[in-house]
Amino acid sequence: MSDRRVVVTGLGAVTAVGGDVAETWSSLVAGRCGIRALTLFDPALYRTQTAAQIDHIPDSFIDPRRRRRMSRADRIGIVAAREALGQAGIDPAREDPTRMGVILGGGVSGLMDSEANYARMIAGRPARPSGFLNHQPDAITDRLAEYFGLRGIKSTITTACSSSAVSMGYAYDAIRHGLADVVLTGGSDVLARLTYGGFNSLRSVDPNPCRPFDRNRKGLSIGEAAGILVFEEAGRARRRGAEILAEFRGYGVTSDAYHMTAPDPSGSAGGRTIRAALENAGVNPADVDYVNAHGTATPQNDSAETAALKAALGERAREIPVSSIKSMIGHCLCASGAIEAVATALTVRDGKIPPTIHYSHPDPACDLDYVPNVARDVDVDVALSNSFAFGGNSSVVVLTRYA
Amino acid sequence: MSAFGIGLVTGTGAVSPLGRSAPEFYARLTSGESAIRPLPPEARKDLQATHAGRYEGFSPQPEIPQMKARRLDRGSQFALIACAQAVAEAGYAIGDDPEGIGIAMGTGSAGAGALTEFLRVLILESPEAAPPFHFPNTVANAPASQVSIELKIYGPNVTITQKDPSALNALLFSTLALGSGRARAMLAGAVDEWNPFYAMGFDRVGALRGEKRESGIVQGEGAFVILLEEEQAVRRRGAVPLARLSGIASAGVASEPYRFAPDPRAMERAMRGALGDAGAEPGDVDLWLSSRDGVREMDQAEAQAASAVFGGQSKVPRELSVKDAIGEMAAAGGAQLVAASRAIAAGQARRALVNSFGAGGNFLAAVMESAE
Repeated sequence: MSDRRVVVTGLGAVTAVGGDVAETWSSLVAGRCGIRALTLFDPALYRTQTAAQIDHIPDSFIDPRRRRRMSRADRIGIVAAREALGQAGIDPAREDPTRMGVILGGGVSGLMDSEANYARMIAGRPARPSGFLNHQPDAITDRLAEYFGLRGIKSTITTACSSSAVSMGYAYDAIRHGLADVVLTGGSDVLARLTYGGFNSLRSVDPNPCRPFDRNRKGLSIGEAAGILVFEEAGRARRRGAEILAEFRGYGVTSDAYHMTAPDPSGSAGGRTIRAALENAGVNPADVDYVNAHGTATPQNDSAETAALKAALGERAREIPVSSIKSMIGHCLCASGAIEAVATALTVRDGKIPPTIHYSHPDPACDLDYVPNVARDVDVDVALSNSFAFGGNSSVVVLTRYA
Repeated sequence: MSAFGIGLVTGTGAVSPLGRSAPEFYARLTSGESAIRPLPPEARKDLQATHAGRYEGFSPQPEIPQMKARRLDRGSQFALIACAQAVAEAGYAIGDDPEGIGIAMGTGSAGAGALTEFLRVLILESPEAAPPFHFPNTVANAPASQVSIELKIYGPNVTITQKDPSALNALLFSTLALGSGRARAMLAGAVDEWNPFYAMGFDRVGALRGEKRESGIVQGEGAFVILLEEEQAVRRRGAVPLARLSGIASAGVASEPYRFAPDPRAMERAMRGALGDAGAEPGDVDLWLSSRDGVREMDQAEAQAASAVFGGQSKVPRELSVKDAIGEMAAAGGAQLVAASRAIAAGQARRALVNSFGAGGNFLAAVMESAE
């Protein structure tokens, strides 16, 4: 069973810089910033008033009667999943649905509606049933399975900001071990007062668009996105002549066992995760061509991540490009690993590395090549994408050119 | 035998209103005791629901020192005590190989207390007044992460939320982690905390059994966990296993979130899948931990599936429903795994089938058997 390999045959994306993969990717390569005024709710009393908000959801194909029951996360998730299945050339109605699963990272789901409901409850007014329906993070997983008629394995990972990275690893293991042949994986996460207020309360937000790895970085910019990938068993993809965009070569999932919110500044914990990923993928540090960084732009993360890359990759860390697309689409929390994997797969396909924008002041604690401000053309055979989370739930995925 | 990382259960843990250790939980469960009690008026308010299986009077002492307990929310306290019990029963020395052990916890409600408290202040006062201390605990992964920090677990650390079958989803993740060499031992289980906002939500969507509603679940709370280890590692260190996990399978129905999908054929697919994975015949099963939880159409579908799998109503093996005793929640699946392990270890069953079927159409089944 373990000789089964897992490839990416479809990608879908909705972000603050694009309503699909093509628009998102061209914006990222052009270094376009999607962080702007937040209008979904009133941010007046918060420390920041910006977010990488999605202003238009291209979901006119969804029956309005069905759409009424969907959360914002469901809607962008369905748009991205439809695009990914379309690119893969998979019509679930023509397949054995029991061999097709959905494994996603769960985010705030319908929490925006649920928050309003909770406000009613504490004001002593009756709560609305509809306000609770999409409260749980697994609602989006059921929703995608229902919408596309998938009847295989179904699971929702809830490890905060590494949720969707871990979900891809779970999908990879499930396909390798024969539990499914095709899995829709990744995640969809949207803005909510809880998460916006949470990072506000921790004072880890930047009032201006975030500046990953810059000496003057002040914190993150919150974003929202859906990133959905079609994972498929390689033999099946080859037999049906599908275009293989990249191979999901392996992943690492480890526990920092350090602190609930702070990363291990020595880089030792993050280094363990990167090493676990390399070992699982069977690649050496010298083989790594690019790292799509977690790069949140908090003072602690970026220096700890830099230390982790040095700890795991040694000298190779100084030779390769490392970039953070959070500088453009913000920190999409539980969907960040997914949308960053979409970008990383495109880097492998196209040989283009999106830049870290808003970068102007080098930091001695962050002394790698962060691809400042301008995209770069580089052949990339092996790429890593890092995701770290509150709770010390760390995950690193390895995407490679399929050969 | 399964093609992937099935292992041996060497430890169990339980923190519940039906007992504060796995042996106590199993003894009280099998004596027919129930932890379901009427909700007091201050908790019930205007709910349809009349009962719950709450852990009233829970104190984190003596297991967790007071100063430490203050940093942990209720779910994390439950989980930490249960996981420490499982590790102790297994005689497992985490420090010998901290990267070799991981944790996968299911939950449907972890973080509910922190989430509602954080939002309460944010809404009633201001975003600036919202307590930063609570924010990291609003996420479902807080219990597993707090356990990993306290017990110094360096391996995989994962939380899964998939309604009622969250615990079996966590178990499935764990078997894949063992089978892929990501760990040599996994703490697998689930944790839940009872919360008034969640009770209100489930009540409003019509999920709770109540005064005018005969069909529905009763909510519970607690933490239940097993330690699952690679067989070779267990034999090497000379530990005595309680049971073997020999098969697991997952089947889905394309269903809207929170809709019940009483599809007996999909349930059968999960049950037959687990038996097939274990290389066992339905006739080899002598204990059935059903998913029965009081949702009428789901219970009827499960009975139909069981009858089909076992070859007639009369051939369905002895049934043990934990949900009659502790209520329904993500953690109930963990309680089923603990109960199956203890039944097998006590020689009261040779092979058990565990069903965990949830709303939204996510059905899992597992087979456990004697480790001899």
